[in-house]
Amino acid sequence: MFNPRLVLAAFATVVLAAACRPEPPPPAAPEPTGPTAEEIEAQRIADSIENARRLEAEALAAAQRAEREMQQRAAAARATLGEMVYFDYDESTLTSETTRTLQAKLAVLRSCPSVRLRMEGHADERGTSEYNIALGSERAQSVSEFFTGFGLDDARFSTVSYGEERPVAQGSNEAAWARNRRVEFVITTGADDLGRCQS
Amino acid sequence: MRRPTASSAWTNLHLEWPTPGGFPSRFATARTCLLFLLAAGASSPVAAQENELIPGVELGFIFEGVYVPPIAVKPLTVAGADVGLAREIEGIITRDLDYSDRFQVRDSLPPALGGEGVQYALWEQFGVDWVVTGTIETDGLGGGIAFSVELHDIVFGSLKAAATFPLPARDHPDFRLAVHSVSDALVGWVTGDRGVAATRMLFRMRAFGEENPNLTEIYVVDFDGENLRRLTWDRSTVTSPTWSPDGKRVAYSSFKADMPRIYELNLEDGQERLLVPEGHGQHDSPSYHPDGNSVAFTIVGPEPEGLFTYNIRDGCCLKYLGGGRFNDLQPNFSPDGEWLVFVSTRLRFSTPQVYLRPLAGGDDELLSPFRYGEGGFFTDPDWSPCGDRVAFAGGIGSRRQANRYHILVAKLEAGGNRLLQLTQEGNNEDPSWAPNCRHIVFTGERSYGKGVFIVDTVTGRTRVLVANVEAEDTDWSPWLAENGVVR
Repeated sequence: MFNPRLVLAAFATVVLAAACRPEPPPPAAPEPTGPTAEEIEAQRIADSIENARRLEAEALAAAQRAEREMQQRAAAARATLGEMVYFDYDESTLTSETTRTLQAKLAVLRSCPSVRLRMEGHADERGTSEYNIALGSERAQSVSEFFTGFGLDDARFSTVSYGEERPVAQGSNEAAWARNRRVEFVITTGADDLGRCQS
Repeated sequence: MRRPTASSAWTNLHLEWPTPGGFPSRFATARTCLLFLLAAGASSPVAAQENELIPGVELGFIFEGVYVPPIAVKPLTVAGADVGLAREIEGIITRDLDYSDRFQVRDSLPPALGGEGVQYALWEQFGVDWVVTGTIETDGLGGGIAFSVELHDIVFGSLKAAATFPLPARDHPDFRLAVHSVSDALVGWVTGDRGVAATRMLFRMRAFGEENPNLTEIYVVDFDGENLRRLTWDRSTVTSPTWSPDGKRVAYSSFKADMPRIYELNLEDGQERLLVPEGHGQHDSPSYHPDGNSVAFTIVGPEPEGLFTYNIRDGCCLKYLGGGRFNDLQPNFSPDGEWLVFVSTRLRFSTPQVYLRPLAGGDDELLSPFRYGEGGFFTDPDWSPCGDRVAFAGGIGSRRQANRYHILVAKLEAGGNRLLQLTQEGNNEDPSWAPNCRHIVFTGERSYGKGVFIVDTVTGRTRVLVANVEAEDTDWSPWLAENGVVR
């Protein structure tokens, strides 16, 4: 019931008929309906402005991120450098805990050669004020010698002793005394460079 | 010889000193009462907290059993002057005579003794050995005062001495100092040794009214505790004040710049100068050479540290006296300028000791009672103006035994120094000799509080100079006035 020859003939007839039809006239040019050239130019400008803004914002964010990181690094370096160290009663030798604290400072100081420190030695209230000035000075010197012993330039370090004159803890008990037997650290030069230091 | 009275046989004077209140101290029962009165009074040692004695040191005073004569000041006669002025001068002199520790001052005089002249028989009945009379004149003196004083010897019934002293007007800043110098002359007439009322004491303490509790400034106060004044306004830590030999300048160390430096304040014009502009480290504890041309002081910090001198007349010639790794601290010149007494930690850091150093060369001599194994903590040396004694503070035991120091006096004698302990209670530091080589001012702590005290090394009598202050670093001035004339 299905004759392939018949189907082929029908198809050929259709094709021939189509091929013999006269060519239709070309359609008229379509009326322009999209944006004008001016609008395109304006869009291009707007796009470029937006793009520039976006890039700017990204750059700003990156800079802010970098700044934040710098600040965080600086804060960390400042905290590391500023951490007080404590001493045993009537002693200026460094305890193992003090040595660990000073090792951390050493890393910061090595990565930031512009930073200079003043070590301020303190003592508890026991003993005379003059003796305690000497004791506080010994403590500050011990810390200075620790740094210079690791090869840092001694011109970067200065010392002063306040003896028993500037306690951080009031009271005549061991808890207060222990907090007062200390060396404090003051950054005298290079504080602006701390963001570029290892912390 | 002076007539012995019932009250003359004091053997242990620091315990049985009669009060200045004029009690009939010749009665034994009254004397017992006096002990209780003394215990309650602010100007005498209060009930001992915990007596302690440093091993190897004698307890005691330099002399014992001295006779202390009774004296009275008769109300002054007023010629053209107001009575208030007379009462003020009487009050100053009476208290000075008491504080001289040379007299029992009798007041509450019976009316019978108040008439014209001096009736020796009546005064003898009243039981005094000496009577002071005087007249004040202000007319035609341009505001100044002529003060005529007589000293009567009641025992011999005669006038012992008399003089007229010029005094500045009552509202003049030198008025009280000039009156004190008249008291000193009176003490000299009786004892041969001039009194020390015309002097002042320096010390440092937390400044009144300043918010920061850790800052100390220099204060000065008169011999009788009056006229307390602040001298520095550094708003910093100002330490170790010391008088120049002429009493016109004060040197001290101040933290007001980055590093502590030694400054000098001229008391006449109020000008301050950096006294030692050279040298590294921090500068502390200045002491004037007796000739006033140089200072000895301590440098603490990077080596070299230790004792230094500096020529302050020419502003030159920083000289290192040596020190080394240990700390040499608190130098003080002998009155002939040939020795220093100082503190050193050379034996071991934790046990500072007092040493003498001959400046012409030679070995240092250990003065404090160091005992091997006990160490001790000795500090704050001050050489007596007479040269034969050194006062210092300290105690056996380590620095750990906080706030337990006593005043010690070393008598410098060939073939061995003798050590005397002057205080037995509380905490006692920073001694400084009076120009009479007899009294010592020091800072102390008692059960009733902290303050500045004066002790008489002869009788042991102690009084409060400034109460309720946390003072340090006292220094007693030279004489600032003589015979009514202020230097």
